[in-house]
Amino acid sequence: MNTSIIKLLQSGFGTSSVIAQCSPILASQLHTSAPLCRVVSGKYRITKKRDRPLTYEMANPPHYIAHRKSWNSWNTSNLKDGLRRSETAVEDEFIRRFMNGTWHSLVCSEVIIKRQFNHIRVAAIIRHAVSPTKMYFLLGYSEELLSNWLQCPVTLELQTVDSFKDVVFKYI
Amino acid sequence: MYSNVVVPRQWTRLACLCRSLATIEGQKVPQTSKSSDGISPPPRIPRGPTDILQALAATVGNDPTAAHYKYHDDPYLIPLSNFRKRAYALSAEAGRKAAAWIRDEHAELFTTRVWDPPTKIKTPYFNADPKIEAFAPKPIYNDESKYFKLLGGVSGVNEELKLQFLQLLCFYNEREPDSMEWLEERWFSANMRDRQAATWRLGGLADQIFESMDPKTPEAYCAMIQGMAKYYQAERAHNMAQEAISKGIPLSTSVYNALIGCIGFLKEGTALRIEALKNILGQMNDQGISPNDETLSACLRSLSAWGGGKVLQQMALQTLAEFRQLGIQPGLAAYYYLLCLFCKERGPRFDILSTIITELEKKESLDAKEPADTNFFITAMGVCSDHLQDINMAERLHAILMKGDNYKLVGDAYKESIYYRHYVTVACRHAPFEKTLELLDTLIPNIYVPEPSVMEEIIKTLEVGGAGDRLAQTWSQLVVFGHGKRVKLVERLLEAMINTYPGQEPEIQSKMRAAAADMLDFGQAASEEQETKDIRSPVQKLSASAVCNIIELCSDTKDKADPNWKSVDEALSRLRREEAAGVPARPQALAEVAQKATTVGLPGIAAAAVTYLAECGFEEAMSASVRVLGTMLNRPEKEVETLLTEQHSSLAGSLHPAAQAVAEAYNLAKTGGPVLQDTERPSSSSDSDSESSSDDE
Repeated sequence: MNTSIIKLLQSGFGTSSVIAQCSPILASQLHTSAPLCRVVSGKYRITKKRDRPLTYEMANPPHYIAHRKSWNSWNTSNLKDGLRRSETAVEDEFIRRFMNGTWHSLVCSEVIIKRQFNHIRVAAIIRHAVSPTKMYFLLGYSEELLSNWLQCPVTLELQTVDSFKDVVFKYI
Repeated sequence: MYSNVVVPRQWTRLACLCRSLATIEGQKVPQTSKSSDGISPPPRIPRGPTDILQALAATVGNDPTAAHYKYHDDPYLIPLSNFRKRAYALSAEAGRKAAAWIRDEHAELFTTRVWDPPTKIKTPYFNADPKIEAFAPKPIYNDESKYFKLLGGVSGVNEELKLQFLQLLCFYNEREPDSMEWLEERWFSANMRDRQAATWRLGGLADQIFESMDPKTPEAYCAMIQGMAKYYQAERAHNMAQEAISKGIPLSTSVYNALIGCIGFLKEGTALRIEALKNILGQMNDQGISPNDETLSACLRSLSAWGGGKVLQQMALQTLAEFRQLGIQPGLAAYYYLLCLFCKERGPRFDILSTIITELEKKESLDAKEPADTNFFITAMGVCSDHLQDINMAERLHAILMKGDNYKLVGDAYKESIYYRHYVTVACRHAPFEKTLELLDTLIPNIYVPEPSVMEEIIKTLEVGGAGDRLAQTWSQLVVFGHGKRVKLVERLLEAMINTYPGQEPEIQSKMRAAAADMLDFGQAASEEQETKDIRSPVQKLSASAVCNIIELCSDTKDKADPNWKSVDEALSRLRREEAAGVPARPQALAEVAQKATTVGLPGIAAAAVTYLAECGFEEAMSASVRVLGTMLNRPEKEVETLLTEQHSSLAGSLHPAAQAVAEAYNLAKTGGPVLQDTERPSSSSDSDSESSSDDE
């Protein structure tokens, strides 16, 4: 994921009303930090003790997208003549934050967002830290709230793992 | 938001339109005239907007191996017991409800509005697209909200609105209807049997409005009478109907249907009731009102509610025949009432179901018309299972339910499980074994999780069929379905396993042994859990016979290092600690186990078994101990017997502790108390015994 975008967005994402306001600004400033991105973004620094856990997705830098790993957002906005470019980007970021906040400390992977027609499918890997009943509660809750915000059907497609260790690819 | 459509796109669209027009034009030609080259495409069929989607959906069948689509497709989140199915689906709905609450309470957070039409919610969106309606107003079902007063009360509202409001009030009896939004709650709510009591609100808002209406229109009368009849205010409904008739106000068919439905509340006794029913039908005839299919089901409903007996059955058949003459075919609800009337639990057998099924098989699809329609399949399957006991009929019925879109008629979760309970029971009892297995494989566990009573039926079938591996699997199913702590079922399963065990493949036998050992561990874990967690309801213990069965299963091995011997040891110690209820039913089995254990080379287990037998006071203890000792000492039984009877005291000390225990057991069995005293232990031994004691070490 593009770190510079996040830094840019971090300033003003309290409520969703802000999303609507700043989306045109974001659209115009998206490529300003491109040279920096190429060197730093999407790469993780090696720690002294070599104990930072990386998932497979994190372990592969961005230039391996489409070679070793795949995209985190699937949509047609970025194609030629694509519609709703800025809206899609902002909504995706919103979904990611919502997922990480609602499934607090449970999400073990990147949140993958796939858009087909008017349907948004959100995939993630979740830890078995809470009971299945609670997971179902959160499932219903997030689907309903997200579909009210994004005004389209939202489906969560979760996979579960025993612990975070199951998704660790390597330590650096 | 889709504003950035550029001009070239429009052009492509136009081209596309032209192309499609051309193709339509091209298709029209062959309809009218045959083309010259002999190719005649079929005539165009007009399609609806969702036809392609439906055609696609029709290609995908149900996958019985997958969980229902409302559950998440992940091993951790797939429910396998009835309790979990219910809990998971309802929690998801609870989450949706919480979200809906947030949406309604904090509407200012939801600023986008592109949905058209909007969802039904209480509060409008702030700052949203004004062109799209904010929300559809909720109807008022009662007067608690006092909206009606604000609108002007009975005097300030015009007649048209009053009538509509009256109809709403009468339909719902001034109560909020069950929400259509929360499907799972409706699906899982325990069987909502409508109480047959007068719940109509006397002097309520409906009555007030009706009083205030000055020219009382026929519609108002119809609404009032139907409302009263629907909520069992029978006498008033009939009085009002008489009043309307005497005033010359025309009543509708549905009013009469409602009146027929509540005859039972007016009259007592079958003869009087039938009289009243005939009167009402005669009245309809006088008024020139033609009955419809609801009239038929209302008649049958009343007849079936008045009990059974020849007279009512005759009457029902007459009614059916007369309505057939009018061209009215009975619906599912009518069939349901017929089944209720004819197929009583302990009555004589009536095979009306086969004709009903033949009728239904002719139909392309079944439509739900009345709430009672959902009762048909469960009742019919109950009739198949209890009344007719006919598997062919059950299969035909099930085929009808599975045809097309008919599964919607299964009702709710409660009805569905009862339906399958009947189906599985009748299949277990009357279907060929192979077919039953096939059915069980498709239904369990995703569509249906058997209840304990059905589980017992299944175990019985598997036992008769001699399916050892299935029985071993059944144990894990019991655990998964949450029946693992039901002692009766486990005991039944063990019995079945013991009966089928001989003659199985060695591989299957080892599976069965593993299952038996696991049962022991499970029971142990359950009782430990009870001690640590202080659970109120005590965990039931397996009976001694069941534990003996486990011992017998586990001991069937020739390998000394087999871990199953550990289970045998554990089970024996549990028996001796008197942690199992009762005494074993077949002590002979234990004696054999003791013998086996000796030959394998585990004298400790043999001694424990024999001692237990002796402690319980079984006659087998004596012969068993003699035989065991004989094997241990490698002597013929006669010799051992004389040895034991004559100089038991001299044996002590010279024997292996296990052999000594066996000897003690022998004495215990013989005299009813231990004979060897501690003081006698270090006495002299005969030379023959010192030799023999060495060979079992």
